[in-house]
Amino acid sequence: MDFIDYYKLLELDKSASQADIKKAYRKLARKYHPDLNPNNKEAQLRFQQINEANEVLSDPEKRKKYDQYGKDWQHADAYEEARKQQQASGGRTYTGGGFGNTGFGGSHGSYSYSGNFDEDTFSDFFEEMFGSRARAHGSGRGHHFKGQDFNAELQLKISDVYTSHKQTLSVNGKSIRLTIPAGVENGQTIKIKGHGGPGVQGGPKGDLYITFNIINNTKFKREKEHLFSQVDLDLYTALLGGEITVDTFNGKVKLKVKPETQTGTKVKLKGKGFPKYKKENQFGDLIITYNVKMPDNLSTREKELFKELQKLRS
Amino acid sequence: MNLEDLIPTNEICAKYRVESTFVRSLHESGLIEIITVEETQYVHCDTISEFESLRRLHYDLDINLEGLEAIQHLLGQVRKLQKENLALKNRLNIFE
Repeated sequence: MDFIDYYKLLELDKSASQADIKKAYRKLARKYHPDLNPNNKEAQLRFQQINEANEVLSDPEKRKKYDQYGKDWQHADAYEEARKQQQASGGRTYTGGGFGNTGFGGSHGSYSYSGNFDEDTFSDFFEEMFGSRARAHGSGRGHHFKGQDFNAELQLKISDVYTSHKQTLSVNGKSIRLTIPAGVENGQTIKIKGHGGPGVQGGPKGDLYITFNIINNTKFKREKEHLFSQVDLDLYTALLGGEITVDTFNGKVKLKVKPETQTGTKVKLKGKGFPKYKKENQFGDLIITYNVKMPDNLSTREKELFKELQKLRS
Repeated sequence: MNLEDLIPTNEICAKYRVESTFVRSLHESGLIEIITVEETQYVHCDTISEFESLRRLHYDLDINLEGLEAIQHLLGQVRKLQKENLALKNRLNIFE
């Protein structure tokens, strides 16, 4: 366990006044506060360190003890034992603070900031020197905060969300394997409980929110679980009827076309749409809109025949 | 909106030991939304973590409302960039 130079952490020298400590702490806290540094572990660690430094240096008793033993803190217990023996044997009176877990819980008007960091915010050095109960004093304002919520965006192709599948995501350096349910929509956000930042002072962990960005690179337009597409019909099939093959999202189907089908006629293919979100084996519909294509580059003979037809209709 | 998801502002003031004027000021600055139902003011539970963050910044770091507005704006940009960065990293993972 290494000695921690609290003065160095707060960028102060040993003669710093309480006002200097407060000023330095406030300046650094504004710089490294977790609320101002989202998803920045380095800032979070630094904030914990300066919080601890402030906890010691802003408390006159703790500072005195820290200054007195400094780098020799590991031998503090031995010094204390020697002091007690000296007192018992009628030696000079020692007026300094005691060691152990009970001496540093009082109020002294210091300040410390809360934030989104782990409950285990104090170093082993602090625990060893001031005892674990000292943290009760140094734990900010006593509130229990839920950890920071994390947000992530996941970009997927529309074909990726036609079936449920597992995917590994990297969030804040952690790999999370999650099942992406079929039918997830573009812009939809799902909450993964407890995968956010750690809680403060025993508060629950934050949540992870994943927003899906679904790229549609197909000819199908999607509205929730329904799909829409345009199908070209040649004039003769539209007029006389027939059978065509159309694309659905997962293959081709044969379709009968009624005679005299007009442009804009819609046909619903039930159950050939997109999977319904979190409803297994349930699908929306595919709605096809016919677009009758007129023939071009007519031959002389074709023109004659169309004129014949025109005469019949007039 | 489900009433179960709403927390009365007076409860928030009591729990977090903040003045009601602070909550009102946050609302007036557009930093949090206050919903009024039958003359009682509420904050949606999804807004609480945002409120906690604003409370810490204001009371712990002495940042005034104008500062909070600027911070919220900049944090929004930071988060947006982080999301973009993450999305790009995830896209790269697909090719790895």
